[in-house]
Amino acid sequence: MTQSRISASGGGDGPHVDGADAAMERYARGDEAAFGELYDAIAPRLLGFLRKATRDAFAAEDLMQQTLLHMHRARGSFIPGAPVLPWAFAIARRLMTDHARRRRVELRLFSEAAADDDRIAYEPTATTAAADDVLHARRLEAQLRQRLEALPELQRTAYRLLQQEGLSLKSAADVLGTSVTAVKLRAHRAYVALRAVLREAGEPS
Amino acid sequence: MSADLRARVLAAAAAQPSPTRAAVRRRNMLIGMAAAVSGIGAFVIFAVLMSESQLLRLGGDVVSQQHVQRPVWLVVATVGGAIGVAATALWLALGRGGSMLGRSPRWLFYGGVLIPVSLLVWKVSCSLAFGDAMVAWPERPGERCLSLSLLVAVGPLLSFLAIRRHAPVRPALNGAAMGLAAGACAWVAVDLWCPVAYVPHVLLGHVLPLFLLAGAGALLGRTVLSLRRR
Repeated sequence: MTQSRISASGGGDGPHVDGADAAMERYARGDEAAFGELYDAIAPRLLGFLRKATRDAFAAEDLMQQTLLHMHRARGSFIPGAPVLPWAFAIARRLMTDHARRRRVELRLFSEAAADDDRIAYEPTATTAAADDVLHARRLEAQLRQRLEALPELQRTAYRLLQQEGLSLKSAADVLGTSVTAVKLRAHRAYVALRAVLREAGEPS
Repeated sequence: MSADLRARVLAAAAAQPSPTRAAVRRRNMLIGMAAAVSGIGAFVIFAVLMSESQLLRLGGDVVSQQHVQRPVWLVVATVGGAIGVAATALWLALGRGGSMLGRSPRWLFYGGVLIPVSLLVWKVSCSLAFGDAMVAWPERPGERCLSLSLLVAVGPLLSFLAIRRHAPVRPALNGAAMGLAAGACAWVAVDLWCPVAYVPHVLLGHVLPLFLLAGAGALLGRTVLSLRRR
């Protein structure tokens, strides 16, 4: 009976939505295997939505993962027969807004810091270094910035908290609401990516 | 879409145990009981403490015994009506209308307007038939009722926020509705205790806490109910 109610509630959203509703219902009752089915039913749509909205493949994957994990944590409060897809999109959208807000703040901080760095770096180099060295440094800086922006948000944030904000691993883990190990891993991935840029530019990494 | 991503998501979910519906129901029942105990406890303690000072006050010339003794039918009528409105407020705040996104803003907004108005109109209209309840009590401006309302409502408000932890949309509005529901429950307790129906007193001591609690609920809702990346 529950199954038929769920199928009926799916409306015109197609067989995947009915499958998602049924899978979520089973998952809420405690069927652990149903999470895989839920993933298969909604993840492609969520990812497509997030990719279009963020225009950032890494961020979209990360937000999709966060959305599904939020649904996992909230499964016990799932209302029998409620449509799952609007809920999933609402969570994804909310997380995306949060993500965009953080990103705006980061960009502002980064651009302010970069402006300060420019002043500090420019004054001595203008008088002592050759013009092409300055140009090379600026290009390298732009490449590093571009690569940093392309990193997944969690890696970027972990890197910035540790390297730019000077936080300890424990503090960074508290800020991100994760473990010290996870922060180490994310920061390490960011370092690897940035070192690759330096190597490509022929700089010692 | 990569199999690696799927495996990562499933592994992350497996690593974070989450309660099933049955477990959440049990937890919510416990939280609800804790809310009731905290509200009733706060009411009893406050009423006992205040009754002593009230008796001392009654020894003076200002307040006659007649003002305190409300007819039973009046108490039953006002409290009964308040229970009905409080039940409606709870249904609005804690129910989600069959959707995981909760009730629409329109429902919450109309509830936010109608609940305080209904409580006030019911209290005053019942008391009109009993003239002495409507007389001015200059020595009872309403600050004690205000304190009692807030004390009784704190536990239920926190409990409601704990019960509805996952609100992906409108966390502030949902929080405000919960504050209002907690205030409506407290109204029942205050109505049992307070014999005064003088309108300025009711506005300060009984209605104002509803709005204060709705505001507190909105602020807490924004913090507690709002989705954040983990």
